[in-house]
Amino acid sequence: MYKVAVSGINAVDNPGPGVGVAKSIKQGDLEVKVFGLAYDAMEPGIYMDWLIDRSFLMPYPSKGEEPFLQRLFYIKERYGLDVVIPNLDAELPLFIKAQKELSSFGIKTFLPTEEQFKLRSKGELPKIAEEVGLKVPKTITVTSYEDFVKAVNEIGFPLMVKGVFYEAYKAFNISQATAYFNTLVSKWGYPVIVQEVVSGEEMNVVGVGDGEGGHFGLVAIKKLWITSLGKIWTGITVKNEKLLQAAQSFVSAFKWRGGFEVESIVSENEVYLIEINPRFPAWVYFATGVGINLPLRLLKAALGMEPERDWEYEAGKLYVRFTDDFITDMDKFQEVIVNGEA
Amino acid sequence: MGAIERLAISKNGFVFDPATGNSYTVNSTGLFILNLLREGKSEDEIVDALVENFEVSQEEARRDLLDFLEQLRVNGLLEASNV
Repeated sequence: MYKVAVSGINAVDNPGPGVGVAKSIKQGDLEVKVFGLAYDAMEPGIYMDWLIDRSFLMPYPSKGEEPFLQRLFYIKERYGLDVVIPNLDAELPLFIKAQKELSSFGIKTFLPTEEQFKLRSKGELPKIAEEVGLKVPKTITVTSYEDFVKAVNEIGFPLMVKGVFYEAYKAFNISQATAYFNTLVSKWGYPVIVQEVVSGEEMNVVGVGDGEGGHFGLVAIKKLWITSLGKIWTGITVKNEKLLQAAQSFVSAFKWRGGFEVESIVSENEVYLIEINPRFPAWVYFATGVGINLPLRLLKAALGMEPERDWEYEAGKLYVRFTDDFITDMDKFQEVIVNGEA
Repeated sequence: MGAIERLAISKNGFVFDPATGNSYTVNSTGLFILNLLREGKSEDEIVDALVENFEVSQEEARRDLLDFLEQLRVNGLLEASNV
């Protein structure tokens, strides 16, 4: 029985990947107990006891490394913990930095190096694109309002205004752009990214790099229907050779280790790289559903096993997200509030 | 591989492009033409086949075929040089 902690169990309108990861590893050929790492007692995953066996409230990563790691060590000592699969952008720098320390306490991860993590930051994207032979929309990283105005003038409308970790908005004029800029700065701080809008099909690839230039599977999808937050609600698997080739080039050029998501826009002859997320996307269960259980493969890699590498999937498989609800006793909520775990 | 070759075409006229994720519907005539295009038939051969199988004149068949091919091009399913 392996004990695996997953974060991002906030299965809400802007869902974290945790529930999809938990669902995937529970469906695999390993016997696992899943621990949910939550930041709020209301995160739905805490109550989904058919997927998540026990949940723990975590201190915010912004409170510092020490209390965060202490919490993980507590879980390890009290309940046993073999592997952590972090799924939220905001906690990744901490996990990546602490992976050796975690490993010395017997908590395994399968994450990129700090260098790899920095490389795929939004501001560095043009470098990656060049390396793997992709195009990138003109991108300017700004750290002041003056730079922002300059960047807007250089790129022209429409353009995208993006936060360094989260949120992206399409602006059609200067007042819209300025409003988004101010929102992002007040919410996430600098830098802010100003980017050219390119037209084409928006397609994404999910995969797990093996850290040696190979991978444990890739699945490409297209979002067919999105929410007002841009989150996939219906999608379809695609087989776009150019995009899949680009994802493989990325993995091999940077020897990527761990889960990732490549966001791209594919026009007739070009693939534009939009973003590389250093973790699974929230729709990662889509890959599992078409036979490529990427979270399980990542788990196996973390445990030092040799995961499967086949990735033959069918194009035209549909992903359907839906809302659901269930009723439970208040006990668990009380326990989480009082004890920080349940 | 050209776009026409890679399409998944269902008998009920549902057409799926696995490279772009786009899907389309065609009527029975469109389906008939798509299948002939996949077999590599020329414009003239398709016009003849249309006249033979549907109650249309040569001119009408050609006009409709050109219109359909243009729609395929607009949707990126046919290159300008094809047919």
